[in-house]
Amino acid sequence: MHPLAWFAWVVVASLSALLTRNPLYLVLLFGIALLALEAVSAAPRAGQLAGTERRGRATPVSPVRFALFAIPAGAVFNAALSHFGETVLFRMPQGWPLLGGPITVEALVFGAVNGLVLSTLFAAFAVLNVAVPVRDLIGYLPRAFYPVAVVAAIAVTFVPSTQQQVRQVREAQAVRGHRMRGLRDWLPLFMPVLIGGLERALQLAEAMTARGFAGRRANDAGSAPAGSSTAQVGTIGGLGCVLVGSVLRLMPRWSAWSTPLLVGGVALVGWAIWRTGRGVHHTRYRQHVWALRDSIVVVGAVVALVSWVLWPASRAYAPYPRVAWPGFDVRVGFGLMALILPAVIPAPQEEAHADDRV
Amino acid sequence: MGDTLVRRLLRWLVYLLASLLGVGAFLYPFFAREAGAEAVGAAASPVFLTVLGGLSLVALLLETQGEATADAKRIALLGVLIGLNAALSFLETALPGPGGFSPVFFLIILGGYVFGHRSGFLLGSLTLFVSALITGGVGPWLPYRMLVAGWIGMTAPFVGLLVRRLRAQARPAEIVILAAFGGLWGLAFGALMNLWFWPFATGAADQHWQVGLGLRETAQRYLAFYVTTSLVWDLARAVGTAAMLVVFGRPTLRTLWRFQRRFEFQVIATVDGAVTGDDAASVAEVHA
Repeated sequence: MHPLAWFAWVVVASLSALLTRNPLYLVLLFGIALLALEAVSAAPRAGQLAGTERRGRATPVSPVRFALFAIPAGAVFNAALSHFGETVLFRMPQGWPLLGGPITVEALVFGAVNGLVLSTLFAAFAVLNVAVPVRDLIGYLPRAFYPVAVVAAIAVTFVPSTQQQVRQVREAQAVRGHRMRGLRDWLPLFMPVLIGGLERALQLAEAMTARGFAGRRANDAGSAPAGSSTAQVGTIGGLGCVLVGSVLRLMPRWSAWSTPLLVGGVALVGWAIWRTGRGVHHTRYRQHVWALRDSIVVVGAVVALVSWVLWPASRAYAPYPRVAWPGFDVRVGFGLMALILPAVIPAPQEEAHADDRV
Repeated sequence: MGDTLVRRLLRWLVYLLASLLGVGAFLYPFFAREAGAEAVGAAASPVFLTVLGGLSLVALLLETQGEATADAKRIALLGVLIGLNAALSFLETALPGPGGFSPVFFLIILGGYVFGHRSGFLLGSLTLFVSALITGGVGPWLPYRMLVAGWIGMTAPFVGLLVRRLRAQARPAEIVILAAFGGLWGLAFGALMNLWFWPFATGAADQHWQVGLGLRETAQRYLAFYVTTSLVWDLARAVGTAAMLVVFGRPTLRTLWRFQRRFEFQVIATVDGAVTGDDAASVAEVHA
C-alpha cells in the first residue's frame, strides 16, 4: 500500500483514539488496529532493500502486551490518586499523603480508559511502524527538512554496520584476552568503535564531495541560503501568534481571539516550511504506485472522520460522578469500521512488483 | 561567515520563542488548571499539546539544520554519530539496563559540548528519531522526546562557558561538571516525559487535585507524586549517565576534540586577479 494512504489511516485512527473517551469505541478501534497489524505483518514486503530494514522492524512490544500492562496500571494509578466518585470500594487512611481517601469504582474505570487510549494509540502506530519501510518514513519528510533527511538516512544505514563493528571489536579484544568485568571494561570496546566511526565519517564526506555533493548550493556558498531570513521572520511570526493564542485560550475574556491566532500561527510556520523547501528538488527512485486500494483506504478514513463530526453525541464519556454504561451510536460504530479496510482488502497480485517500476 | 547581527538576532529569537512554546506545551496542564477547572480537559487536550510541541520542534529543526549541515563533512559527522548512538540505544532495548537508564545521553551531551549547540540539538533529536525508526517507536510521543533530547544537546555548550570561566579545561573538574549536568538532565528528561503523559492521566472531571488548587500547590503535588512514582526510575538514568561521563568522558572528549579539528578544517580557495579558480596552479597551491 502507498505510504501516504497509511499516513491518512494512522492520522484518523490516532485522532479518533485521542478525541473519544468512550471505552466501547476505543475497544473497537483497538481491535481494528490489531487486525490491521496482523494483516501487514503477514503481507510480503515488496521492494525492500535486503538486510537493513527487515531486521529490528517488528514492534518490540506487542500492543496486546502493552494493553495488558497499561490498562491495569492506569486503573490502579488513577484509583490510588483520585478520590472522586460515589461508588466507594474501601477507604485508605486519611492521613496518607496523596493516597489517603476513598477508593472508587469510577476512578478505576477512568484510569482504565486512560490506559485504553494509550494502548489504542500504541497499536495504531505499531501498524504504521510495520507497514511503512524506514526509507519511506524518511523520504516523506517535507522538502524543507532535506538536510535532516540526509543525516537521518546516513544514520539509518550506519546502524547495522556499527553493530557489526561492535561485534568485530569485541571478538578482537576477546582474542587479546579482554574480559568484561565492570563498567570500565567497556572502554576498550567503545573507543575503537567511536574512532572507527569518525574515520569512516571522514571517508564518507570525501566520497560525497567527490560525487558533487554540497550541503549548500554552490552559488550561495559562504552565505546564508537566499530567502531564509524571510522564512525565519515567518517562523518567528508564526511562533509568536501560537504563543499568544495559547495564552489567550486560558483567559475567558479573550478566548475568542485564540483560535484565529492559533490557526494563523500554524499557517505561518507552514508557509515558512514551504518557502524553505521551495528550492529543494529531489527525484524519487522506485516510486510507489497509487492504486485503487489506496483510494479505498483513504475514503474509509474520511468516512470514519465524518462519522465523528456528524454524530458527536456519544463521543464523550466520563464515569463521574456515578459509573454508567457508555452510550454507543451504531452509525459511529459503522463509520469506525471503515478503518478496517486496509486489513480486509486483498493485496493485488502484481503489487509485489509495483515498487520495481521506475 | 555571513553571520550578521540581524541574522544572529533572528536566530536567537527563533530559539527563544520555540523554547518558550515547547516549555509551555509541557507546562500547559498546570496553567490550564490555574485558569479554571471546568475547561481543563478541553484546553489541555493531547492533540493541542502535540501541535504545540511539534511546532516548537519543527522551528528548532529548521533553524539548526542549515548551519550544522553546511558541508559534506558535517553532514557525515552528524550522520555517523547519530547512527552510532542509535546503535547504542538498540543495545538498550536488547538488554534493558536498570530502570530508565539509557546510554544515548552520554554522546548527546559530549557531542553538543564539543560541536556546538546546533549540532547538539540535531544530535539529540535525530538520535531519538532514528532509534524510533529502527525499533518501531514512531508515535505521537516522538516529537516530545525529540524536543527534550534536542534541548540536552543544545544546552551542553553552556557547560563550556562555565568550564572556561573556572579555567577547568582538561582538568578533572571539567568531567565533574559534565557529569553533574548529565545527572540533572537525566532527571529532567523523566520529569518532562511524565508531563507528556499528564494530559492522558487528567480528564474532564479534573480528578487529580481538588478544584481550585493554586499553581504552587499543584506543582508541589506534582513533585510529591513524581518523587513517589518515578524518581527511582529516573535516578537510574541520571546516575547511569553521570557514571558514563565519569568513566568514558575523558578519553571520548579527547577523541572528539581531535576529530573536531579535522572536521572543521576548511580549504577556502580564494580567487585573486592572477589565479583563476579552476587553474591547475591554484589547486596545487591549495594543496601545498
